[in-house]
Amino acid sequence: MNQKLISHANLDRLLARLRERWIVYAPARDKAGEVALREWPQEEPLTLEFKNFLRSPKALFLPQDQTLLEYQDGKWGEPAFEVRDTILFAVRPCDARALPVLDRVFLDGEQNDPYYARLREKTTVIALACTRTMSSCFCTSVGGGPGDAAGSDLLAVDLEAELLLKAQTGRGEELLGFAADTLAEATPGAIQAAEELIAGAEGQLAPVMTAESARRLRQDYDSPLWETAGRKCLGCGTCSFLCPTCHCFDINDELRDGAGRRVRTWDCCAFPQFTAHASGHNPRPSPKERWRQRIMHKFRYAVENFDVSFCVGCGRCIRYCPVSMDLRAALKELGV
Amino acid sequence: MSANREIEARLRETAGKLLAEKKVGLFIGYEKASLPFRTTPLFLSRAEEAERLAWNPFCTANLSVYLPRLFQAPADARAAKAAPPPPTIGVALKGCDARSVVALLQERQVRRENLVLVGIACQGLVDRRKAEKALGTHEALGAGEDGRGNIRAVVEDGTEVTLRREEVLAEACLECRSPAPSLYDFLLGTPVEAKGAARRRKDGLESQPLEARWARFQEAVSGCIRCNACRQVCPMCYCKTCLFDQTRPRWIGAGTDISDVSIYHLVRALHLAGRCIGCGACERACPMGIDVRLLERKLSAEVEKLYGYRPGEAAEAVPVLSCFAMNDPQDFLTEP
Repeated sequence: MNQKLISHANLDRLLARLRERWIVYAPARDKAGEVALREWPQEEPLTLEFKNFLRSPKALFLPQDQTLLEYQDGKWGEPAFEVRDTILFAVRPCDARALPVLDRVFLDGEQNDPYYARLREKTTVIALACTRTMSSCFCTSVGGGPGDAAGSDLLAVDLEAELLLKAQTGRGEELLGFAADTLAEATPGAIQAAEELIAGAEGQLAPVMTAESARRLRQDYDSPLWETAGRKCLGCGTCSFLCPTCHCFDINDELRDGAGRRVRTWDCCAFPQFTAHASGHNPRPSPKERWRQRIMHKFRYAVENFDVSFCVGCGRCIRYCPVSMDLRAALKELGV
Repeated sequence: MSANREIEARLRETAGKLLAEKKVGLFIGYEKASLPFRTTPLFLSRAEEAERLAWNPFCTANLSVYLPRLFQAPADARAAKAAPPPPTIGVALKGCDARSVVALLQERQVRRENLVLVGIACQGLVDRRKAEKALGTHEALGAGEDGRGNIRAVVEDGTEVTLRREEVLAEACLECRSPAPSLYDFLLGTPVEAKGAARRRKDGLESQPLEARWARFQEAVSGCIRCNACRQVCPMCYCKTCLFDQTRPRWIGAGTDISDVSIYHLVRALHLAGRCIGCGACERACPMGIDVRLLERKLSAEVEKLYGYRPGEAAEAVPVLSCFAMNDPQDFLTEP
């Protein structure tokens, strides 16, 4: 595994080099002052001073409003679509880990989603390991970690004056080779410092038990907890729209004067119309059933069907819930 | 003992007594949440658990949002016949939340005889976003009030950071004109003088030409992810089926096309005209930090100027858009 060093002062040079071949997304402040993944370069400088982005990178692969088809007077076609090779620089490990999770849904080998596939296959991911954690983080409880490289082609670790870059895939190796003139060889001291920083971050995380979640949740379908949670949940989609792995969508035709488009938009299991039948019947009539579905999908059905939990422990649902619901508390109460 | 501590003690005592004496079957208040700067709604049915109740500057949710649904009879006629009698509910209310209850009473969405209103003389709430921004890359592990009403946070390395109250107060609280409830059965705490009248948000919109105003509005809502949080936390958004959730016909698209986003926010503002009591729950709930009350502030000011009416002030008053007087101003009517 190839490992290189780059000084902070040289980061712009590295990105400029990469931009010769790739579209580069990197963290910079947006108009609201939030650090977000934005196309580089921007007026606002690159910054690595952030905990995590408000929005996960999933919208780059599964746009919230995506035109699938356009039609007019009985003729239809796909909108012109050009995808360029893209690098995401400094994605947090939890969000990078969410990408192979989404792949399980959209790239199952038999029925690949072409719209997702064409965006996903052109993207190289550089993750930035966490050396500090938030109190809403629980990645180590769902198989990830502050230095987890799942979903990354390259893992970067921020040492004080420089970044250690560790190739994880052939693409990562290729990238290091392409930008070799901006990089220095990794030193044993830097490699050790990186390991210590990651171990330090791991030590800050309190474990949440999810190991046996699928088996345990099978007994919890009628738990009184769903009633309690459903009473509190207001039924907005904040948790699922900010979630890096939530991926449910709706497809509609928007037609006007014989012309229109078929559009795919994000959908959410907390919304009543998500399961509304044409007959008027709704099998999930109240927030109770909808909230149960969210937990069951992530920690039971996903594990049963894909052998991986559909939660990467990023904690966005906990931080942004308008009524501060915490799925960790629910899992604990359920005895998962 | 600080004022809020004293209120908290009396709140626990009052709620415990109401439940023990069976004056109410359910008490809705707040309890400590898993993350700092937050609380989470608490639904209490046992007097012994009243100690869980909390009162502090992080009690941001407007709990009256839960009331209409608790009184809603099942849509199905047979189910409605078999339904239990409407519940008796005690609820903790700040000045703004009590105005919501007044508006809900005016619109016949709750039953006064089934409610015990525990009013709290509010001193203003902390906007967690402001507090977290003020901490920068530090991560709060705990937060509380110091003796002078400033906010004290303990961060990851164990140090204490003091945040000045005025810097972290929620926008709606800085503008609040009636922090103490006008309608209550119990009043906890001593009402403080309202300072909000002196502060009005200057958005500089009105002096701009129409095109610039439209552009500003569209820019303000362009970050919307259609999660519906602003709608779901609003006590006045109690429609059984919101027009945005209707599918036959589907009035607007579900995605983030700017025309759909604009319509969502325009309709929301118009439906709240003369009804919004200005609690600011919507802007605190918005995960994207959108100024979701931009239009509502203007509409509220117009309603007050034209009709001298402020919603939520008096339960006996007739809502301004539900009545007609011969001397109502009509100069905005134009001949076709």
